[in-house]
Formats: sequence, structure tokens, C-alpha cells
Amino acid sequence: MTKLTPRQKNWLEGTGAHIGTASKNGNPTVIVVDKATVINESTVKFILSAKQVQLVEKNISENPRASLGPGGIGSIRAAYQFKGKASIVGNELFVEVNEIYSTKPGPEAGLRLDNLDYNDVLKFESSRWADDGPPR
Amino acid sequence: MKLNQAMKDALKIVGKGGVVVHLTTSSLDGNTNTVGERFITVFKDEFILIADMFAQKTRVNLNENQIGVITLAHPVNGRTWSFKGPATILQEGLPDDYEFEGLKAVEALKEWGNWAEKEPPSEVPPDIRPPVLVQRGVIALKVNEITDYSSEHAGNIINTEI
Repeated sequence: MTKLTPRQKNWLEGTGAHIGTASKNGNPTVIVVDKATVINESTVKFILSAKQVQLVEKNISENPRASLGPGGIGSIRAAYQFKGKASIVGNELFVEVNEIYSTKPGPEAGLRLDNLDYNDVLKFESSRWADDGPPR
Repeated sequence: MKLNQAMKDALKIVGKGGVVVHLTTSSLDGNTNTVGERFITVFKDEFILIADMFAQKTRVNLNENQIGVITLAHPVNGRTWSFKGPATILQEGLPDDYEFEGLKAVEALKEWGNWAEKEPPSEVPPDIRPPVLVQRGVIALKVNEITDYSSEHAGNIINTEI
């Protein structure tokens, strides 16, 4: 089971994400939510507006997959992409993350992190970034 | 559709760390990919070009499903804009007369095929810039639809040609 690191959790919670969804035929729709809550080791919850629900509920009902790129300054400092299974309950969007990639530009762009040993991911992060989340 | 001046300015900041967008593409069966991109420019008013620095999953998606969404990620400052349209990767070696949605590949690559030479990323902090800017071509998106992504107005069409 995928386990988000403290750094990943802090960035997702602090800056939210650009959330990619698509129809079953691959027509993409993106919504942006500027905050999130990580509710267990791998699940991220976003509170959506009514208009955001309208935009993505059909996509998610026919194709429950989503990709997440951290928003705001997280798009620079938190070079990750998270992918997972999406579901909507009322105005809450849940994404159960099952793939995590580094998107840090350069030779490690696209490196998959979630299938590494968890302690190796922590070492990877601490050797490449000085922060553990957005500025507080 | 043509981007207005405010949009061109928002997508093009030289120095001060530049602009970051997220580019979302999808496989034909709906597996999306959302990745931050930093080397961006507006070309001929209605195309957005991004340096292709070996974006593997983006390439796989665009090879089978030529559509993309670009969302402004930083700095935003209220400019909650989403740009959607047909997208592809233009690369050296294409036929001389190759066009994508009216965009001549040779023109785009002549101007933006060597980003490091045209706009060296020296102002980008070393811990977030690539160690070497190795470019394979340009990702080109023709803007057919501009929408607002703010929570209150999500999905509202923005018309730049009134």
C-alpha cells in the first residue's frame, strides 16, 4: 500500500493540487483546489465547490482515475505527481494515491517513488530538498 | 483563439524565477498525467509552447491523444486560467512542410528549439532547475478554449475576442 511521506503530505495539504481527470475516452478536465487534507497514509481529501463537482463528477463516475500536481509554490518546490483512484461523496473528492512520481527536472524526472522502500524515499527527499513542506 | 495581453504576460515572465504551469494530458482510455512545466512561451498569439525536456509520459499520451490542458500554477495572483486545445510535440526531423493546427514546425523550432541559448535559465534557483537544459523539441498546444478554474467560477468560459 502506498504511503505518503511527511513532506508529500505537508505540500499537498498546504498548497492543494491541480487535479487531472478525464472521460473514459480521454478528454481531460482539470480543477484546481488550493488546500487538501490527508486523511490516512494514502488518501487525500479535497473540498470542492458545486461548480467543481459539476465539472468532474461525470468523468469520475465513468473513469475513477485522477492525477495530482501540487499547486502554487508547490508546483516549483514539490516536484511530485500523484496518481490514484478518485471518488466523490457530496462535495468531497477523495483520491486514494497508488502511484507517486518525482517530476524534478533532470535525470530523475519521472522516477517512480512509491515502489521504493519507504525509508529510501525519505532519504531521496532529504538529499534533494531542504524543506519538509511549504513555508509556515 | 487568441490570448489577450494579460494572458501573454502571465505566461511569460523572464527572470524572477519565471512562470510555472501544469500540463495535463491523457491516454485514450483516460489515464491522465499532470506535470509542472517551467519553460513556456506564447507563439503567434494562439499557441502555447513548452520546452520538451524528455517528458516521457506526456509524449506517450500525446502520441495517441492529441489534447492537453494548461493551468497557470505560479505566480497566480488571481489569474486562474485554464487553456485547452489540441497538443503535440514538434521535434527536429519532421518534414519541412509539417504543420500542426496551422503552426509550422520549422518556425516554432527555429525560434524555440534551443531554449537554453535563447533564454538561459540562470535566474532559476539551482535546486529546482535541471542540471543541464536538455531539450528534445517543443510541446505545442493550440488554445481553443480558455476557462476560469477558480472554485467559484470553475469552468466558466473566458472570451478574449469580444
